[in-house]
Amino acid sequence: MILFLEQKKLHRTGYLPIFLAGGILAAIVPLVNMAVRPDSFTGLSGRAFPILMDANWGMMAQLTILLAVCGCCLIYHTEYADKGDLKMNTLPIRQFSLFFGKFGISLLSVTLALLIQGAALALACFHWFPDRCVSLKELIQGMGFELILLLPTLTLMLFAASLCQNMWISLGIGVILTFAGSMIHDEQLLLSLLPFAAPYRMLHAIPPEKANLCLTFCAAQAFLFGAMELIYLRIRRNFV
Amino acid sequence: MNMIETVQLTKSYGNFTAVSDLNLHIPKGHIYGFLGPNGAGKSTTMKLFLGLTSPTSGYFTIDGKTLSSGRIPILKKIGSLIEAPAFYGNLTGEENLDIIRRILKLPKSSVDDALKLTGLTEYRKRQVKKYSLGMKQRLGLAGALIGRPPILILDEPTNGLDPVGIHEIRTLIRSLPAQYDCTVLVSSHLLSEIELLADDVGILNHGHLLFEGTMDALREYAFHAGYPTDNLEETFLAMVQTDNAVRKRGELR
Repeated sequence: MILFLEQKKLHRTGYLPIFLAGGILAAIVPLVNMAVRPDSFTGLSGRAFPILMDANWGMMAQLTILLAVCGCCLIYHTEYADKGDLKMNTLPIRQFSLFFGKFGISLLSVTLALLIQGAALALACFHWFPDRCVSLKELIQGMGFELILLLPTLTLMLFAASLCQNMWISLGIGVILTFAGSMIHDEQLLLSLLPFAAPYRMLHAIPPEKANLCLTFCAAQAFLFGAMELIYLRIRRNFV
Repeated sequence: MNMIETVQLTKSYGNFTAVSDLNLHIPKGHIYGFLGPNGAGKSTTMKLFLGLTSPTSGYFTIDGKTLSSGRIPILKKIGSLIEAPAFYGNLTGEENLDIIRRILKLPKSSVDDALKLTGLTEYRKRQVKKYSLGMKQRLGLAGALIGRPPILILDEPTNGLDPVGIHEIRTLIRSLPAQYDCTVLVSSHLLSEIELLADDVGILNHGHLLFEGTMDALREYAFHAGYPTDNLEETFLAMVQTDNAVRKRGELR
């Protein structure tokens, strides 16, 4: 029910069109890149999916992170703009379940954006690498890995957006962290798995024995930021 | 039997005490007028009842339940309108009420009832951001009344309404205890407003309760204390000014 309520609150905010447009924009990146300079990539040896990811994922990931940031800010702006949160807090519903619902909506929206991007990557494979096309399993694994690596970014951004009643502050925080995250290199694996940096990592570029560690570390961070929201909701009542 | 009772309820923010050792007794089925100048602590007290803020010391019971048993059982019994009406501006009035209805697990007809009760049926499909201040206030009331809760907490419910609207809402609130067997706590800084609405009155100034009782008891109290009794507005002003003067003398010492 909470997911239904949260999606209902987002009517007429442009939330879904933003995610569709953002997903399509990120999906255009590999198609344009391949269309403009196909020889730079088709000449490379190896599987098509890693080639496409290496060439395009940096830009695609950054757009997806920015999309997630905007989505989180918009979700909480809808809550704070006309004090809808105040009404919610006077109703018999757990405050954390509202955060959980917002997380669910964000996760579904990011999944939608990643699905569009995955489809574009598959299309690029079919068109430019017909003889070594990506398998469905490889595609799902690759995009699923990115989805889990996005979880810490999503939960931290939702937490930040829930703290700031002024959307421009949380949006500013998100944009700064997006660019800061893009500057973290992957030499130190754990550092590169922090929020806003993790989504740049790719499954094929990580040693297979460390992939599970990455997933566990990101899931743990998502739980940690969720727990921080829970603590914040508990202590907030002492100060308002 | 008291529906709401507070015992030495106190809320402080650093050095500032918004509510101090408050002992309120709100009888079941009554309309209790909570009166005080701006900043007296009326809204803070109401926020305490709704669990929006935690008391620094003291406690309160609502229908025998304390906050330690959790906010949810208390909130299930309360319909509220606190400070300004709160809503989602991008949604229509009907959609806003539908969200509340779903949380309270009420039948679909409850939205129509609440809209009809507050005279908003005509504007149900209009986005709330396009509502006038009075219509927003009515929607806030509809959100509080939906599901006919046994306790209503209304913070200055006639704010922003025109004289006709004020009369309508006043008549509506006045009829609620008899119609739905509910207890109403209504705040205002206007004694004339409370005088026409309430069975009992509590007067608050700087977080302290100056008086609690029926309107007749207030007149009697004012007469014995030497306050003007011709006009309750003057009684109220004299009580607040005397308290302020006593407070100022205390500070100077």
